[in-house]
Amino acid sequence: MTLSLAALDACFEGVVPSILCTLAADGTPNVSYLSHVTRLGEAQVALSNQFFSKTAANLRANARAALLVVDPTDSAQYRLDILYRSSLQDGPTFGRMAADLRATSAQLGMDSVMRLRAAAVFDVLSVQHVRGGRAEAAPGRTPGQALARALAVTGALTRATELAGVVDAVLDALAAAFGHEASLVLLHDPGRGCLLALGSRGYGTSGIGAEVPLGEGLIGLAAQECRVLRVGDASRLRRYGAAIRASSEHEARTRSVALPHLPAAMSQVAVPMEVQGHLRGVLFLESTRRMAFDAEDAIALSLVARQLGMAIALAEAEAAEASVASPKDAAPRATERRIGVVHHAQDDSVFIERAYLVKGVPGRLLMWMLDAYRVEGRVDFTNREIRADAALRLPELKDNLETRLLLLQRRLEEKQAPIRLLRPGGGRIQLEVQGHLAVSSKASSG
Amino acid sequence: MRSTLSGLIDTDLATFLESPVMIILGTGEEGMPEIGRGLGAAVQEDGTALQVIVSAWQWPGTVANARMNGRIAATFARPADYVTYQVKGRVDLVAPPTPALRACAMRYATRISAALAELGLAPERTAPWRSDRDLVALRIRPEQVFVQTPGPRAGSLVAERRG
Repeated sequence: MTLSLAALDACFEGVVPSILCTLAADGTPNVSYLSHVTRLGEAQVALSNQFFSKTAANLRANARAALLVVDPTDSAQYRLDILYRSSLQDGPTFGRMAADLRATSAQLGMDSVMRLRAAAVFDVLSVQHVRGGRAEAAPGRTPGQALARALAVTGALTRATELAGVVDAVLDALAAAFGHEASLVLLHDPGRGCLLALGSRGYGTSGIGAEVPLGEGLIGLAAQECRVLRVGDASRLRRYGAAIRASSEHEARTRSVALPHLPAAMSQVAVPMEVQGHLRGVLFLESTRRMAFDAEDAIALSLVARQLGMAIALAEAEAAEASVASPKDAAPRATERRIGVVHHAQDDSVFIERAYLVKGVPGRLLMWMLDAYRVEGRVDFTNREIRADAALRLPELKDNLETRLLLLQRRLEEKQAPIRLLRPGGGRIQLEVQGHLAVSSKASSG
Repeated sequence: MRSTLSGLIDTDLATFLESPVMIILGTGEEGMPEIGRGLGAAVQEDGTALQVIVSAWQWPGTVANARMNGRIAATFARPADYVTYQVKGRVDLVAPPTPALRACAMRYATRISAALAELGLAPERTAPWRSDRDLVALRIRPEQVFVQTPGPRAGSLVAERRG
């Protein structure tokens, strides 16, 4: 009996490797594993051609091939009779396969090895189920569930107002709707060519301030390619990329925050956020369940990410502007405790009490406020004056000041620093210094 | 333990082929390729033959082709690190497994199931790939051995029978 190719979609998720057999002109078989098979409509498949030259030579001699694919949900095996038709070196199908392969191989640390040179297109002549039964499928999903989940999350987003509320709302609503264990919201920092973690749920540490370079790992690749990338069975990835311990010692040494990580993650999905044609950030979800995110979830999460991107852009654009800083009432009196603050001009990294806090623009922002505090005793600031101040030399702040302020505020909270940022509302920023500042600046590293 | 082997398969390779690695088989008849899976392998004492056990119920085409013309490719891949070798040769005997080979198949099923479980694939999820109905042993006379571990050496010949 020949089955419909469309019914086999789960087989093409790239979870269980497929098997390809070809024959040489003299009939000598060649059998190998294949990482990616993509369905092209109802009657064709495309195979990632990272083949060994033997397979390519065999297909020139004999276009018939056998393909074995496995459904990762119930482990059923299907045997496809296929006929080689042509090779693709560009176009949308090739682009999609190349991106999938880059995502997989980057996760495996084999990106230099598994570059897609071409995709081979085959006609599917027949599809047969291989005897041997099926494993009990994982608890089924009701079709259309993903859309309802997306609606629940975007509903929560519409109620959030300022930036901090948007980030918290989306993380909480996602956890409730999708039932995964951990998630991250990262925002694009074009100036540094990286993504910055702005909020998380489900990790031991928040990871706020962690940076992911564009193109690195699943998150960086999703951002670079502007496409959703999914991993459904990360078990084989665990041995690679040993976890970097999130520790203060590590932070101070590297002047960076470690990206949090779910040790037993089996499924991951990274969804780019785009607004007005520009990358705004990435939404990232992880689960310890295998195949936790299916193709339908990816679509639903793309809708969520778009809405999130717009909500963030709106929160930045509409952040209430206070023109005059209102005097602060009942400011806690500064104690005599000495607070050692070290600023490294080289990268604007700031250490408080020897603990690494932030670098880059948020670091410069904090130093600017601390200078005003030391010189004029000021504790009240407005977003308007920060935007206008030429001394900050930050033209890019116009669009993402709220993001930087939120990052700074949360890092200070997380480090339980004796300096805090409060947001009394209306575009105001209040500095709270619980001690006596001892600031030193260093021109170079060391 | 084997000391040295005089055949195409040396001691290290024999140890690898008999370890819990995924075994896939390629055969063909009249230009039509076929795929099957092996349920364990055993290298003959002198290294001149390799026995691969197969379920004739699950993989009838593979067993039929092995009987018909004997041409076979067997690829052995370790799921934990993708170390992969392909052995090409001829099947010169298709027979019911000896008690020793049957025991080898059962031991293999237990060990590969555990190896995959360690990677997060529960044994019940991988069971459909290793039927033990109607087992037969294919005796392969190896002619060529290729390394197929992804990387710069992939596809290169490591051993070939001369003459």
